[in-house]
Amino acid sequence: MSDTQNLTLVQAVRDGLKGELERDDDVVVFGEDVGKNGGVFRATQGLHDEFGEDRVFDTPLAESGIVGTAIGMAAYGMKPVPEMQFSGFAYPAFDQIVSHAARLRTRSRSRFSVPMTLRMPYGGGIRAPEHHSESKEAFYTHEAGLKVVVPSTPRDTKGLLAASIRDPDPVVFMEPKLIYRAFREEVPDETYTVELGEAKTRREGSDVSVFTWGAMTRPSLEAAEQLEGDIDVEVVDLRTLSPMDWDAIVESFKKTGRAVVVHEAPKTGGLGAEITATIQEEALGYQRAPVTRVTGFDTPFPLYALEDYYMPEAARIEDGIREAVEF
Amino acid sequence: MVREFELPDVGEGLAEAEIVSWLVSVGDAVTEDQPVAEVETDKAVVEVPSPVNGTVKEILAEEGEMVPVGNVIITFATEEDETASEESGDTESDESEAESAISAVSEVGDEDEDAEAGGTAAKGGRVFASPSARRLARELDVDIAAVEGSGPGGRVSDADVRAHAASDDEEEAVESAVEPATAKVGEDDEEEPAPTGDVARAGRDQTLAAPATRRLAEEESVNLDDVPTDETRDGEAFVRPEQVREFAETQRAAQAADTEAVQAGQEAGAVSTTPEQVDQRETREPYTGIRRTIGEQMETSKYTAPHVTHHDEVDVTKLVETRARLKEEAEARGQKLSYMPFVLKAVVAGLREYPVLNSQLDEEADEIVTKHYYNIGVAAATDAGLMVPVVDAVDQKGLLQLSEEMNELVAAARDRSIAREDMQGGTFSITNFGAIGGEYATPIINYPETAILGLGAIKEKPRVVDGEVVPRHVLTLSLSIDHRVIDGAEAAAFTNTVKEHLQNPELLLL
Amino acid sequence: MVVGDIATGTEVLVIGAGPGGYVAAIRAAQLGLDTTLVEKDAYGGVCLNRGCIPSKALITGADTAHGAASAERMGIHADPAVDMAALSSWKDDVVDQLTGGVEKLCKANGVNLIEGTAEFDGEGSVRVMHGGDGQGSETIEYEHAIVATGSRPIQIPGFEYDEEHVLSSTGALNLTSVPEDLLVVGAGYIGMELSTTYAKLGTNVEVIEMLDSALPVYEDDVARVVRKRAEELGVGFNFGEGASEWEETVDGGVRLTTETDDGEQSTYEADHILVAVGRQPVTDTLGLDAIGLEPTEAGFLESDEFGETDVENVYAVGDVAGEPMLAHKASAEGEVVAEHIAGEPSAMDFQSIPGAVFTDPEIGTVGMTETEAEEAGFEPVVGQMPMNASGRALTMDEPDGFARIVADAETEFVLGAQIVAPEASELIGEVGLAIEMGATLEDLGSTVHTHPTLSEAVMEAAMNAQGHAVHTLNR
Repeated sequence: MSDTQNLTLVQAVRDGLKGELERDDDVVVFGEDVGKNGGVFRATQGLHDEFGEDRVFDTPLAESGIVGTAIGMAAYGMKPVPEMQFSGFAYPAFDQIVSHAARLRTRSRSRFSVPMTLRMPYGGGIRAPEHHSESKEAFYTHEAGLKVVVPSTPRDTKGLLAASIRDPDPVVFMEPKLIYRAFREEVPDETYTVELGEAKTRREGSDVSVFTWGAMTRPSLEAAEQLEGDIDVEVVDLRTLSPMDWDAIVESFKKTGRAVVVHEAPKTGGLGAEITATIQEEALGYQRAPVTRVTGFDTPFPLYALEDYYMPEAARIEDGIREAVEF
Repeated sequence: MVREFELPDVGEGLAEAEIVSWLVSVGDAVTEDQPVAEVETDKAVVEVPSPVNGTVKEILAEEGEMVPVGNVIITFATEEDETASEESGDTESDESEAESAISAVSEVGDEDEDAEAGGTAAKGGRVFASPSARRLARELDVDIAAVEGSGPGGRVSDADVRAHAASDDEEEAVESAVEPATAKVGEDDEEEPAPTGDVARAGRDQTLAAPATRRLAEEESVNLDDVPTDETRDGEAFVRPEQVREFAETQRAAQAADTEAVQAGQEAGAVSTTPEQVDQRETREPYTGIRRTIGEQMETSKYTAPHVTHHDEVDVTKLVETRARLKEEAEARGQKLSYMPFVLKAVVAGLREYPVLNSQLDEEADEIVTKHYYNIGVAAATDAGLMVPVVDAVDQKGLLQLSEEMNELVAAARDRSIAREDMQGGTFSITNFGAIGGEYATPIINYPETAILGLGAIKEKPRVVDGEVVPRHVLTLSLSIDHRVIDGAEAAAFTNTVKEHLQNPELLLL
Repeated sequence: MVVGDIATGTEVLVIGAGPGGYVAAIRAAQLGLDTTLVEKDAYGGVCLNRGCIPSKALITGADTAHGAASAERMGIHADPAVDMAALSSWKDDVVDQLTGGVEKLCKANGVNLIEGTAEFDGEGSVRVMHGGDGQGSETIEYEHAIVATGSRPIQIPGFEYDEEHVLSSTGALNLTSVPEDLLVVGAGYIGMELSTTYAKLGTNVEVIEMLDSALPVYEDDVARVVRKRAEELGVGFNFGEGASEWEETVDGGVRLTTETDDGEQSTYEADHILVAVGRQPVTDTLGLDAIGLEPTEAGFLESDEFGETDVENVYAVGDVAGEPMLAHKASAEGEVVAEHIAGEPSAMDFQSIPGAVFTDPEIGTVGMTETEAEEAGFEPVVGQMPMNASGRALTMDEPDGFARIVADAETEFVLGAQIVAPEASELIGEVGLAIEMGATLEDLGSTVHTHPTLSEAVMEAAMNAQGHAVHTLNR
């Protein structure tokens, strides 16, 4: 049995980066304040000192340049792990991400691939200023050629991050910063991977399936617990949003016949719609109620006095579950 | 002094019992231990004795009423009332005897008193027990202040705490035994009335349908799982809207027919139809007591064990002769010898060769338990319903002894004086439906046993022996088995062995 | 952090790392709970840093000096010079060793340590303001919170502690030279311990007490022994006087004016005034409003037998949970709360909390006094052994005091003890065990005790209560 450490999610990010930096000399970590400072969330703390300026370094405040550099490195066989300090800062790099990182394999008929892992903290609930709280995972899932990963536990974080870095194609690794330090979990010291594209059933149930990811997994589980004895709720943590584990979703839905999708992103054009549509294509005959979506609202993410109203919390999820079950 | 008497637990942890009849009336003088009521439990009627000397003051339960154990059913005015000033010594001793009688039936009340009266004093918040004993008390959920200490000065030890916890558990067992029964009554009340229309229902667990079909079903008050269909998707039944409509139509028609029939009956009845007269078309009696026990047993057995029934016949001409001879012999010894002891012996011979028929499936442990003893139940029809007294250790007893024991048990079952123990512990059962009439049946296994042998009537029938049609005595056999445990081939092989022994009774000597 | 506030989650949050808090945190972590301990300045709390431990170190120093200087009867002549700065630095070493041990133990058990001041933010969440500059603050979200913020010395208006002229007990423990004259306001246990200590170090001590006796919470015959001995050591007592104002004198000392109820004024001059009029719980800095928790008038948090306050999942241990404000009570409570949170069948069902005063001689008490036993409905029987009948006390040249056992006459269960004697703080432990175990006088009296020791007094007192003491006259 190997040793473990009791880590928070952000500590698991750091531990995962450290493991891959040790394992593979091609891995480089860079971004704004990532080097000497150790990252605004301490996700790279100490890595600069440990691995040196060539492996872990600071960049100018130029997201387009950060990702462009990473694409170039990746095309030449390195394994860059650039960081967008907040997902809300990624838009200057959007062209690099969708026009080049996502396309290079197709464009070059697989002569080049982009083994880049683009880390970006995302999501609300932390009393942050404007542009720091959005959940725009749907942007990236809409772009073929990108993988999109969202962990929800420290243990998964380390394994999914390792799998992303080792993946031969670009991965957008979105870290739910709300739960960066929300709880600790025993994380193995040694490196390991958690397969991309596999959902995880966090709680078995027979009455209704809740599909969620990232920071919404905890309130979903909390709601399920609240309803225990009344409604038997299954909670599926999707973990990878692209490619989505459709088999797991359809299988769970066939069992329960009812679904609730929980995400903090706005409802319109959100992944809840995609999941709902797929359920109807694949399992219409099993459907006992409309799929309920518990999501953020179709407004800009509010400043923090209102963010508790914006973010789905356990009580709202509970209502959503009841709506699906009592149809 | 008025002594309340609670319905005691007359069986093994029974929750409720039916008052069959009162043997005393209000005002009657009773002596201690004199029977005052007959109470029917799951399978037997027992007498309830008076706990005191005195007179009956009130009777609080009606005959035929189901009473939860622990309810006060009768009160007595004890002699202390009547002779309050005289013979105080005597009455005191009466009282204390009465007390012990009561405590025997109602530990619950008594323990509570103990808790108040006994227990180490807890003055000023002090408890005289070691920290470890106090922690143990919390662990066992015991109020340490209520524990009577056995140590010096009444100090409470670990052992005292454990003893107290054990007595609490007993109380709980009694209480929880009462609860489910009460709950059941409630549930029964809430059950939806059975639908009147008699329509074939599919009764599936999973039915696929488009959302619109589900909505239609809801509007038509149709349960989708009941709608017949041949179509499947993904290997599951799939229902279309037309099928829902059709089913709803059939259901409505059946209901209309019912209503018509009822109305017709009412019209035919009289000019002014009273509810009573309508009721006379059918009578209702409570599904309780022995009837209900039998029903529940049957339900459990049939729904748990997949039944397969194997039919065969056996030429018992020789057995008929043998029995005729031995019958006289038996009569000389004051015994009435039926065929049953022979069958019991033949069955044991079969069970020895095929022990799997003498088994039980332990579902919790996922193990098949094969019994190496042969306690055989013999089903007997009684006025109250079917009972199955058990003849123990059939393999170790002679024909006459079996005959004697069986006759006694059956007689006891018929007059309902049979003890519960005498109807438990069977490993295999025999039902002799032929005694009333009939050749073949599909007996229901006396669950959790795994096999039951049904006997038809012995009749003379034309049979071919050595190429000639001759009259022979023929016994028909119907063996039901639990197919989870026993295979059809084993059932047939077992039947063959039984047949062999019944065909050639001398084999029974071996 | 300018970019937002990411809450750190924890199962158990302990506020305050004193003897209640650190014990609770370690126990919780041992039981597998994710535990965070917030401390604003020093691990170990008042007890280790500014109370029990440093005061006991000073007392030992004073006893050693005074013992050597007053043993002429034994033929020992000495005039020890006390280097107060050195004594104080030895005392600090002891404190450092113990507090360092606490921090190490916490870490070794996996407790997350955070330095700062915690304030409730709302249900399930506290804001911790970090101590150092530029460190900002952070939010901790908890499932269970244990408030163990302890107590601080009460201030009399006009007598704010400057720790130069007006000393709190903390200041009195950190003097770098032995004062010539010391005024002590308050004759409670802290005032009496420090008066005795400084008197032994050669200071002229005057005690000002508003009530009319020293150690008013103790029985008269107990308090009298200590007061008499203090007077022998040169401590002056001035009862019925309240401190009303003070001023600095030209030579840097203090002049104190006191007043009786009748308005009669007196003045005293000294190097310092030590104010020791009691302690009050620290519950006013916690932002308890945010979770709707209201302390009592005296500032305490009411809690049940599991330490839980009126607010679900918020617990109180130690001084904030009420009298007696004693370190060992705090630790015992801390352990119970942690175990309760972890689902173990623990509860605060202590039959008694022992108390000790480190005067000369010491006082040790546990359980009920005779009067308390009567009030509780017992018919008490009492047994006593004077220390001047103890061979060991005489050979230590400390014959003052007695040991007393209180028991229930009917069952002979031991209900309490009051011991005023050398090492009474140690002797009382035995009776504490007897009470917790539900032992009887017979149990205590029939346990063979080592001769010649002070502990024989406990056995003798028990036998005396039964009427068959050997070395004392039975009552």
